Amino acid sequence: MSAVLQVSNLRKSFGGITAVNDVSFEVEEGEILGIIGPNGSGKSTLFNCVLGQLLPTSGEVRIEGKPVTGMRPCDLNQLGVSRTFQLLQIFPQLSVRDNLVLAGQEHQGTMFSRLVGRSDAGLTGAAEQMISFFRLSHLADDQAGSLSYGQQKLLDAAMAFMAGPRLVLLDEPAGGVNLTMLAHLRERLETYQRERKATFVVIEHQMEFVMALCTRVLVLAEGRIIAEGKPADVRRDPAVIAAYLGH
Amino acid sequence: MNRLAAAAIVVATAFAIVVPFFLKPFGIYLLSLWAVLTIAAIGLNLTLGYAGQVSLAQGAFIGIGAYTTALLTQAGVPYALAFVAAGALSFAIGWLLGYPALRVQHHYLAFVTLAFTTLVFLVLRNEEWLTGGIYGISGIMRPVFFGWSTAKPLDFYFLCLGVLIALSLATWWMVRSPWGRAFVALRENPVRALSLGLDTRRYTLMVFAIGSSLGGLSGALFAPLVQFLEPASFGLNRSFDLLLMVIVGGSGYFFGPFVGALVSVLLPEWTRIAEGYYLLVYAALVMVLMPLCPAGVIGLLERVLKALNRRPGTAASARVVEQ
Amino acid sequence: MVHFFQLLLSGLATGAIYALVAVGFSLLWQTSQTINFAQGEFVMLPAFFVLMAMNAGAPLWLACLIAIALSILLLGVVFKFVIVDPMLRHGVLPLVISTIALALFMKEAVKDFYSSQAQPFPALVAEGDVNLLGAVVSAQSLVVLAVAIVTVVGLNLLLNKTRLGRSMQATAQNPTLARILGIPVRRMVLYTFLVNAVLVAIASILISPIYLAKFTNGETLGLAAFVAAIIGGFNQVRGAVLGGVIVGILDNLSAAYLSSQYRAAFPLLILIVVILLRPQGLFGRAQERTV
Repeated sequence: MSAVLQVSNLRKSFGGITAVNDVSFEVEEGEILGIIGPNGSGKSTLFNCVLGQLLPTSGEVRIEGKPVTGMRPCDLNQLGVSRTFQLLQIFPQLSVRDNLVLAGQEHQGTMFSRLVGRSDAGLTGAAEQMISFFRLSHLADDQAGSLSYGQQKLLDAAMAFMAGPRLVLLDEPAGGVNLTMLAHLRERLETYQRERKATFVVIEHQMEFVMALCTRVLVLAEGRIIAEGKPADVRRDPAVIAAYLGH
Repeated sequence: MNRLAAAAIVVATAFAIVVPFFLKPFGIYLLSLWAVLTIAAIGLNLTLGYAGQVSLAQGAFIGIGAYTTALLTQAGVPYALAFVAAGALSFAIGWLLGYPALRVQHHYLAFVTLAFTTLVFLVLRNEEWLTGGIYGISGIMRPVFFGWSTAKPLDFYFLCLGVLIALSLATWWMVRSPWGRAFVALRENPVRALSLGLDTRRYTLMVFAIGSSLGGLSGALFAPLVQFLEPASFGLNRSFDLLLMVIVGGSGYFFGPFVGALVSVLLPEWTRIAEGYYLLVYAALVMVLMPLCPAGVIGLLERVLKALNRRPGTAASARVVEQ
Repeated sequence: MVHFFQLLLSGLATGAIYALVAVGFSLLWQTSQTINFAQGEFVMLPAFFVLMAMNAGAPLWLACLIAIALSILLLGVVFKFVIVDPMLRHGVLPLVISTIALALFMKEAVKDFYSSQAQPFPALVAEGDVNLLGAVVSAQSLVVLAVAIVTVVGLNLLLNKTRLGRSMQATAQNPTLARILGIPVRRMVLYTFLVNAVLVAIASILISPIYLAKFTNGETLGLAAFVAAIIGGFNQVRGAVLGGVIVGILDNLSAAYLSSQYRAAFPLLILIVVILLRPQGLFGRAQERTV
C-alpha cells in the first residue's frame, strides 16, 4: 500500500535562491510527522509546494500513489488534503457556524445542487458536532472576528477538519497560543487523529509541542533534510543542535 | 434582515406600484427605464461587488440582448422565447469571454471587456445586413401575452417591474444559498477559499456569466421599451454608466443597484440645465465619493444607522442591526 | 513589397509611440500597484494643452514645453497625491474604479469645455517624404521614430545607469528591501509618476498630428497601451517596448491587408490570443499559482 504522502526530490528555486533543495520523504497512514528547522530552512515553502500554492521547480508529490504535483489547492482539497495556516485565515465577518459550513460545503453535492438545495448545504448538524468537539459551543453564533486568538486557532483547525480529510497539514498551529489553550489544542488534535485515523504533517517551532504530539520528526536546514527519526532521537542529534545553534 | 430594512422594502415596492398611476407618460417611461437598467446593474453588481471583477462590457451585453430580441420578435418568434434566448446567448458569450481572462491573477477581465465592447459596437455598426448598421432597428413592437398587450406605457411598466421583481428574487435566493457564502469567501480571502476546496475560478466565471446574462435580459426589455435601437446606445458610455451606477449605489450590497439606477436615471433630468454635462457630473461625483465613502449610498446608510444605534437613549438603540 | 516596407515603417513609428505609453503604464503598475485606466486619456490631454498654449500665442516649441510642464504637474503630482494615494488605502480595485471615473471625467471635460470636434494638430516637421532604400517614407514617421527611440534610450539610461534610476528599479522590485537600504521609497514612487507624465506628454505630441486631437483618442490609445503592456508581460518595461512595437506594426498591417472596418477590434484579438497562449506575456515570469 502506498504512503499517504510521498514527496520525491522536491526542489523550489526563486531566482538565485533555492528554498527547498532535493527533499524526499514519505508519510504513512496514521502518522503524525513533525517538520522542524530554523527560520528560513524552507518549511513553509515545502508546504506550499505540496499544497499547490506554489509550483515546484522540479520533483514530484504523490497522494496515495496519485501524482498531484502542481495541482490547484481546491482540487487537492477535494482529494482529501486539508491545511491550517500560520497567519490566521478565518472569515471574520461570518459567524463561527457559518465559517464551518463554508469549510464543508464545497464537498456537498455539485455546484449546481448547492445552488438549489438548502442554504446550509445540510451541514448544520456536522457543524454543531465540530463546534462541540472543539468546545466552542458558547460562541457558535458569534462573529468569528470577535473570538480570541486562541479560539480562532481552534476554529482554523475545525475548518480544516470539516470535510473529513485523510491528510492534514498544519502550519505552526501552536504559534501565539497561550499554554492552557495549547494543551487543549494538542489534546483535540490527538483525539481527532486517533478517532479518524487521519494523517498529520505539522510544521512547528515549539519543541515541546512537537515532541509531545509527533510520532516522527524531520529536520530541515537550508532547504535540505538533515535528520529524521523519533522526536527524542532527533533532539539529541548533533547535526540538529548545530543547525539551531548556528542560527 | 432586520425590521427597518424590511419596512423600507415594503414601502418602496408600494411606491413602485402606486406612483406610476399619477405620472405622465414620460414619467412612466423613466420609471420603466429605471427598472430595466436596475436589472443590468444587478448583474454588474454580482460581477463587481460579489466577485470583485471589473467588467466594462455590461453595456455591450444589453446591446446583444436588445438586438437579439428585436431581430427574433421581428422574425415572428414569441417574445418569451426571445427573452430567454437573449439571456442564454449573453450567458454563453460571458462564459467564453471570461474563461481566458479569469485564468490569470491581474485585472485582465477589465481590459478584455473593454476591448469586447469596442468589438460589439463595431459589429453592430458594420454588419448592416443584420443589424441595420448606423440606421439601427426601428418599429420594435411591445409584446403581447395571451391577449394582454403591453403597448401602453403603464402596462409595459408593470411588465418591467414584474420581471425586475422576479429576477431580484432569483438573485436573492442565489445570494442566500451556499453560493452566497462562496462569494464572501471569494471576495474576502481567495487563498483560504481555495484551500477549502472552493474552485474560485469556476465561481468567478459563473458569476460573470450570470451577471452578463442579466445584462442580456435587461436588453430584452430595453428593446421594446425604446422601440428603436442604434449601436451608439450600447458602447463604452453605457458600460461606464452602469459601472458608476453600481459604485454610487453601493457595490456588493443587494439594494445598491436599485439606488444607483435611480440616481443614473434622474441625474440627466437634474442636470438638464447643464445640457450634456451629465456624464461629467457623474464621473466627478464618483471620484469624490470613492475616497470618502467607497461603499456607496447603501454603505453610507449602513454607517449612519450603525452610528445612530450607538447613541444612547434613542428608540433605534433598542433594536439590533444585523448584517 | 515596397508597400509592405512602408507599412512596416509607419507601423514601427506608431508602435514606438504605443511603446512609450505602455512603458509608463508598466512603470506605474510595477512601482505602486497602480493600474491607470486613464492612461489613454493621459495621452489625449497634453495635446490640448499645446493647442491652448498656441491659441494664447505661444510658438509650437514653447507650447510643447508648457504642455509637458502642465502634464508633470497635473498628470504626475496632482494625480498621485489627490487620486492614487487616497484610494490605494482602500485597495487596488477601488483605485481601478477611480481611474475609470477619471478617464471618463477627462474625456467629458475636453468634450464639453474645449470641443467635440477633432482638432488639427501641427506636425513637428514640414510635410514631406524621404526616399529610404527605394521606399517613400514620410518625414514625419522618421521624426516620430527618432524621437521615440531617443526617449526610450534616454529612459533606459536613466533607469540603468544612474543611481536615481537604479533606486527606482529597486523600489519597483522590492519596496521593503529598498526602504531598508535607505532608499526614499515614497520619493521614488513619485518620480515614476513624473516619468509617466513626461512619457505620455511626448507620446501625445507625437501622435496628435496623425490622429488629430480629439477627446475620444484615449479609447484607442489606452487599449493599445494595455495590450502592449500585457504582451510584454505586465510588469516588464522592456516587454512594454516590444509589445508596443508589435501592436503598432500588426495594427498597421491589418488595416491595410484586412478589413479596415474592424481595425479597432484588432487589439482585442491580439489580447485574447496572448492571454490564451501566454498570459504572462513575452517577458513575464510564469505566475506563481495563486488562482
